[in-house]
Amino acid sequence: MISSKVKERAGCVIFTVAAVICVIAVIAIFVFMLIRGIPALGKIGFFDFLFGDKWSPDRLDTFETETLSGSYGIFKMIVGTLLATVGALAIGGTLGFFTAVFLAFYCPKKLKKVFSSMINLLAGIPSVVYGFFGIVFLLPLLANFAPNNGSGLLATSIILGIMILPTVVSLSKTSLEAVPRTYYEGALALGASHSRAVFGTMVKASRSGIFASLVLGIGRALGETMAVVMVAGNSVAYPDGLFGSFRVLTANIVMEMGYAGEVQQGALVATGVVLLFFVLIVNLIFGAISKRAIACGVNGKGFISKAFNKIFKRKEDRKENKQPGAFKSKLIKIKNKIGEVKDGVKYKINSSKIGAGFAIGSGILSASALLLVIGFIFVQGAPYLFTHPNLLFGEYQFNSEEITILPSIITTLMTVLLSLVIAVPIGICTAIFLNEYAQKNNIFVRLIRGAIDVLSGVPSIVYGLFGMLTFVVIIKGTSTILAGSLTVSIMLLPTIVRSTEESLKSVMDSLREGSLALGAGKMRTIFKVVLPSALPGILSAIILSMGRVISESAPFIYTMGSVISAMPSGYLDSNATLAVALYRLAGEGWYVNEAYATAVVLIVLVLGLNLLAEFIAGRLNKRLKGV
Amino acid sequence: MKNKLNQEYKQNISVKDANLWYGDFQALKGVCMEVPEKQVTAFIGPSGCGKSTFLKCFNRMNDLVPGCRIEGDFKIGDIDVYGKIDVNELRKNVGMVFQKPNPFPMSVYDNIAYGPRTFGITKRALLDEIVETSLKASAMWEELKDRLNKSALGLSGGQQQRLCIARALAVKPKILLMDEPTSALDPISTGKIEELCDELKKDMTIVIVTHNMQQATRISDKTGFFLLGELIEFGNTDDIFYDPKDERTERYITGRFG
Repeated sequence: MISSKVKERAGCVIFTVAAVICVIAVIAIFVFMLIRGIPALGKIGFFDFLFGDKWSPDRLDTFETETLSGSYGIFKMIVGTLLATVGALAIGGTLGFFTAVFLAFYCPKKLKKVFSSMINLLAGIPSVVYGFFGIVFLLPLLANFAPNNGSGLLATSIILGIMILPTVVSLSKTSLEAVPRTYYEGALALGASHSRAVFGTMVKASRSGIFASLVLGIGRALGETMAVVMVAGNSVAYPDGLFGSFRVLTANIVMEMGYAGEVQQGALVATGVVLLFFVLIVNLIFGAISKRAIACGVNGKGFISKAFNKIFKRKEDRKENKQPGAFKSKLIKIKNKIGEVKDGVKYKINSSKIGAGFAIGSGILSASALLLVIGFIFVQGAPYLFTHPNLLFGEYQFNSEEITILPSIITTLMTVLLSLVIAVPIGICTAIFLNEYAQKNNIFVRLIRGAIDVLSGVPSIVYGLFGMLTFVVIIKGTSTILAGSLTVSIMLLPTIVRSTEESLKSVMDSLREGSLALGAGKMRTIFKVVLPSALPGILSAIILSMGRVISESAPFIYTMGSVISAMPSGYLDSNATLAVALYRLAGEGWYVNEAYATAVVLIVLVLGLNLLAEFIAGRLNKRLKGV
Repeated sequence: MKNKLNQEYKQNISVKDANLWYGDFQALKGVCMEVPEKQVTAFIGPSGCGKSTFLKCFNRMNDLVPGCRIEGDFKIGDIDVYGKIDVNELRKNVGMVFQKPNPFPMSVYDNIAYGPRTFGITKRALLDEIVETSLKASAMWEELKDRLNKSALGLSGGQQQRLCIARALAVKPKILLMDEPTSALDPISTGKIEELCDELKKDMTIVIVTHNMQQATRISDKTGFFLLGELIEFGNTDDIFYDPKDERTERYITGRFG
């Protein structure tokens, strides 16, 4: 047993190294964004960049040129992004909230499981598929009422609304279900109807959790790229009413990155910084809210929110110290009066009944949205797959009418394989370090956690930007599957670390103690007792990561190529993954049938993986529980 | 090196002047005690009086608690528990059973074989034998011999706790620590575990923390009464319960404290 001590030390070293690599990756992205973005900001001028409303870059502008001949103002895009987010929130947020209420309180028990997993499946559908659905279904539909082809704010809001739906629903539902049942019973005992108890008591009690879910939805809408690119029109303009082409920040990056000049490239990175800044704000707000929501069972997000809370608390303390003046107390009285009147009205028109109607309607609407997206694409695409097997299994021919997506499928698999091989061990080891080795309140550890939290909210296009300007440059100078895989593996890290940590946390300490008390070392305890118990969670995180690699497209376009080409012969070739191929096919408008078929393949793959994740987790959990 | 690790552990514990802090809070104040070998020693006292904390010093489980600081002399035989020793070796010799049963999420067999495997025993025949003797020692062989490959989590609470005892026995400890082992169990299971204690003390020293004073009178030879981190009185169980020297002990056992 001499080796046991060596093993312990080696383990500790490995876990620490993994955590350090993770931290370096996190820091690298922030540092990179700043280094590449700030000089351009300096050249363009901070104010001109943020509030200039003219964007007409000149490729020839370099940092050496005295005066820039192009203009680099992103204000129109900031407005576009914000409006699209508001629109998405109006549609997806409302629908999501009522759907959550429906699932938590109105849905028959038998249907509940089916409905919930259907909504979760919505989250798994790749964003290019949403974009494609927008192009082939939504835009033609809207074109009937629109002066243009239907693209614009309304289409973007609807598509984004559907995309944030699962986020809003699942988080709101969790916080609604975490409200103690006794509140509901208490309301009923006072003579309230079911609906009044639900809307008057339960919803009110979980307000902060619901709010947090909306904020998270905002985060998702802000960072979405491909789906928006496909339906927004993308000309640099303020959104003109519900229809009319406009451009969002993420789209700006993806549209111009491929051919950008020096200053332009810097300006695009700076656009990424602005995006990052938005996401950071959203994260802060989310952290602050969910900290308050902890009482209702929604998890808080660590140190950022704590800092936030401290500030809040100090303010509140100060408030308490002040006696309200005469004017203020009068105001409060008026406010109370208004409240009374409002309550009276509320009671009379029985708004809770209307709410109930909304809830049931939304539940049905959300479920049918999923059925519509999947059903429409399947009906259009599946038959083509059967009549044209060459699409799947054919050989690539240059300049041919008959295209094949087999190389894309292989490329996708290669990417999945390599990115998981890189990200999974590092991610799991980092999580083990954070949860089993690091001291709980160490500032350094809290910083890592905070950074990982922020990183998990970074829009995928920003990763693409990072990969393009680092991995691509270092490895070959042009896009390669290797560069793409590296990029996406950094993107996967935060998710893997966080979900592994969650599953490690859920392993009871008594098991660890039991093992240690038998004289087992830390390594043995971790590998034989802790990890096996956490396995279901970790496995499903891995499977979901696979799904994420398959469905992402924004990080790949400029890192591994977007041209559907011959079978890759190795990791140094360039090729398009399935999702990117779909983006290409849909955008060209020449291969509509092939695009449908590709979308079908994508959906089948991703949904299959989602179902597999659920199945494996359920199965392992059962086995662990000894049933 | 090897010799040092495999030092022979004796079965008596001697503690001098033990002080323990959790951060700023002092949980143990100058505790001295001689635990005799091959007897059952019980610790009683109200919640939060430090008896579990004291118990966990014997196998250094308190090492896991952040901010925990320990002073004083803890000796098992002539081995200094907080000296330069292999903690895993210590915990092998000083087994522990926890308040809540904590079987690992694996089969009954693997649960018991976990300890021996930790210390390098891999031969199936030998493991089979250890599993059988451990289960027999904890009086569970008849109940479980046909379910060895079933998950331990499917057992009842009482069975789980006795399985945990069997698991602790499998590494042949010299001393067995029990931290309120029956507080989560029904009376019948409790009775079985108490019988087991009686049986086990032929081979090993047992130290048990209990909230149940009848239990202490039933199974222990020595009893220590703890209050607010101090050892108020320690002596033969009969003396403590029928002829307490300290007024506080008397008040506690006659029910005027918590």
